[in-house]
Amino acid sequence: MATALEPALSVRQVLTLDRVLAGEPEVVAGAGHLDRPVRWVHVAEAPDVGVMLSGGEMVLTTGVLLAGDEHKQTEYIRSLHRAEAAAVVLGLGRAFPVPPDVMRRAAERCGLPMVVLHRPFPFAELTEEVQSRLVRRKFAAVSLSESVRTALTGLITACAPLQGLLDEIAVHAGCPVILTNLAHRVLATAGERSAVDDVLRDWERIARQAGGSEGDGWVRAELSGGGERWGRIVLCGYRGDHPIGRLLAERGAEALVLHRMLHGSAHSWEEQSARGLLTDLVSGAVPARQLLPRARAAGLPVNRRTFVPLVVRDGDPVHLDRVLRLLGLSGLVAELADGAAAVLLSLARDQDAESLTAHFAARLRTEHQAGGTVVAAADARAAWEEVPEGLREARHVADAVADHSAALDLPPVVRLRDVHLRGLVRLLRDDPHVQSFAERELDGLLRGRETEQELLPVLRTYLATGRNKSRTAQLHHVSRPALYRRLEAIQACLGVDLDDFEQAASVHIALLAHDAQQR
Amino acid sequence: MSRVIRAALFQTAWTGDKESMIQVHEQAARDAAAQGAQVLCFQELFYGPYFCQVQDPAFYAYAERIPDGPIVRRFQALAKELGIVLVLPMYEEEQPGVLYNTAAVIDADGSYLGKYRKTHIPQVKGFWEKFYFRPGNSGWPIFDTKVGKVGVYICYDRHFPEGWRALGLAGAEVVFNPSATSRGLSGYLWQLEQPAAAVANEYFVGAINRVGVEELGDNDFYGTSYFVDPEAQFVGEVASDKESELVVRDLDLAKLREVRDRWQFYRDRAPGAYGPLIAP
Repeated sequence: MATALEPALSVRQVLTLDRVLAGEPEVVAGAGHLDRPVRWVHVAEAPDVGVMLSGGEMVLTTGVLLAGDEHKQTEYIRSLHRAEAAAVVLGLGRAFPVPPDVMRRAAERCGLPMVVLHRPFPFAELTEEVQSRLVRRKFAAVSLSESVRTALTGLITACAPLQGLLDEIAVHAGCPVILTNLAHRVLATAGERSAVDDVLRDWERIARQAGGSEGDGWVRAELSGGGERWGRIVLCGYRGDHPIGRLLAERGAEALVLHRMLHGSAHSWEEQSARGLLTDLVSGAVPARQLLPRARAAGLPVNRRTFVPLVVRDGDPVHLDRVLRLLGLSGLVAELADGAAAVLLSLARDQDAESLTAHFAARLRTEHQAGGTVVAAADARAAWEEVPEGLREARHVADAVADHSAALDLPPVVRLRDVHLRGLVRLLRDDPHVQSFAERELDGLLRGRETEQELLPVLRTYLATGRNKSRTAQLHHVSRPALYRRLEAIQACLGVDLDDFEQAASVHIALLAHDAQQR
Repeated sequence: MSRVIRAALFQTAWTGDKESMIQVHEQAARDAAAQGAQVLCFQELFYGPYFCQVQDPAFYAYAERIPDGPIVRRFQALAKELGIVLVLPMYEEEQPGVLYNTAAVIDADGSYLGKYRKTHIPQVKGFWEKFYFRPGNSGWPIFDTKVGKVGVYICYDRHFPEGWRALGLAGAEVVFNPSATSRGLSGYLWQLEQPAAAVANEYFVGAINRVGVEELGDNDFYGTSYFVDPEAQFVGEVASDKESELVVRDLDLAKLREVRDRWQFYRDRAPGAYGPLIAP
């Protein structure tokens, strides 16, 4: 865990170590810079020590080569400053019995912490102590990096879903983790629910800031592959050390890139995100109000809007999304279970839902050869809380007309009022009385030989066309006399007279109930 | 008091021929109008490929008269039918051999309001524009349309703050920046410069870029068209970087006053000190 890591040692912390206190350290210059991190401890008696350093070192010296030459002393301090040393520690003794004033002044001017040790002190003890602490810390970082990488790789090879990876990252980070595309649309989140909701509530403001600087504790890593960036992972309000946060974000980004390469494209992540949201809305498992921040973060405008729930049978979400973009309509698209795609349009209050739905449906038919596409539409909902009910209504309408288009030319948009008896039968399909009624009425055909079962589609078309014989013959590519023979066979099997309205209606209802059962 | 206009941008890919490209844009105007959009701007050189990837005199044929050419007339009729203000970035021939990169502005009643000619003309790899266009000489016109005061600043112009400022001083409320710019060249500037111009001049900016790779070169046009408000905040999401898209957004023009009352950039600018800027 990141929180188990010690922060980097600062000059101040080194000076409070027991072994160092034994040397009676005194800060004589640069007291305002004691929080500098110490990367390494280096013992050096050379006057040109600066050239050996690469920055961040605490340099220990007795000054034996500097005594008696004030110019050398000043230059020594300056060279440490140029090399960005963290601090200089001078052991008082034979070379310098008291703190040298020239060095002290030079260090003060440079802002370089200068410490003198009043008691003789074995430098080796200090280097050992500090070095081992620094190494332990580095090792902890490497070890964390490795354990996170191992955990994430394990999840990827086990074909874990995206959410599994994000959850793992969030456990290590201890803060909300958000995956976005380049448009700042939230694709997935992980972390404690209430903390995630807090972030999402403010997401619109964060996302709309051009340049996107999110302030303290926000650690971002870009997701890219093949020379193209396509998203980012954000740790929101990470409380540990920034370098560790970076490390976690980068490990996370690597794993997500790998996951995408192995299991799908960024586009499908957007679909997954929309699918999760729309599925939760339809199921009613989560109250709609709680899903509002997620919807907003997924890019759906939700303030002062009208929502239009639609369901398209056999709709391809990618195609539907493309048409929405082309028309400039805001909406979420996702595939629901059983192959139907849900579309939730968000319109401005002054826009006409019916005409824009018709516009969308008409364009679906002209684009990409989706000739017979039927859009099942619920009435527009002015309140977000009513969206789940609307989605269920649209799905019900879509189900009710699922096999309809085979026999009849449906308009591009169908609504509850268009599905008539089919809608009712669909709702009642699980009723045992309705089931036994359908079995009874169709028994002769359903239990018959194969040739008799083949008559079922003919019966279906005949009834759906309003007992139009020429249309039925045409749709089944048979001659009229051949159709008459089949209708006679059907009547014989069922023991009914299809010219009698009530008997035909009864068979029709039974057939609708039977078909509703099959889906 | 709020004063909301519904504004639109359209980004699309080259279809392969001029007529179908015009039809795609006519359809986009209809789609925008269906949503209640009151003003729509197309991408730079909207009915052609971005032919400046090559230097070929054959493409001079894409230029036509403004406003007396067939395309302006065709879209004047459409603007009138739909009641929508149209900004048409085109290739203009003033007379043979005198060609400009121009945007014509048509009001919602179909009347021609005027044109802006692109002032800054690039000449770098993949953007050989000096071969095709004279530098514009139209100054910084503002068009008083049915929806408000509209300015146009075309593509490469956007790198020069002076024109943005001139449009602001002339009273622009929305400035459209139709462009053709490619991935790798300007990706990170695209979401930086226009928002900066919007906040510096305290007006709305609509930035449009085409999408896709065309047959004339490797330029990968990355779309991501957007509106940005006078606080440099995007209005809704930016558009796709690959797909054709109509961007329809509600812009509350009252925000101009709100932001200008807060940040008095126009009051505090110091034109007396700017002499060196116009030294040749």
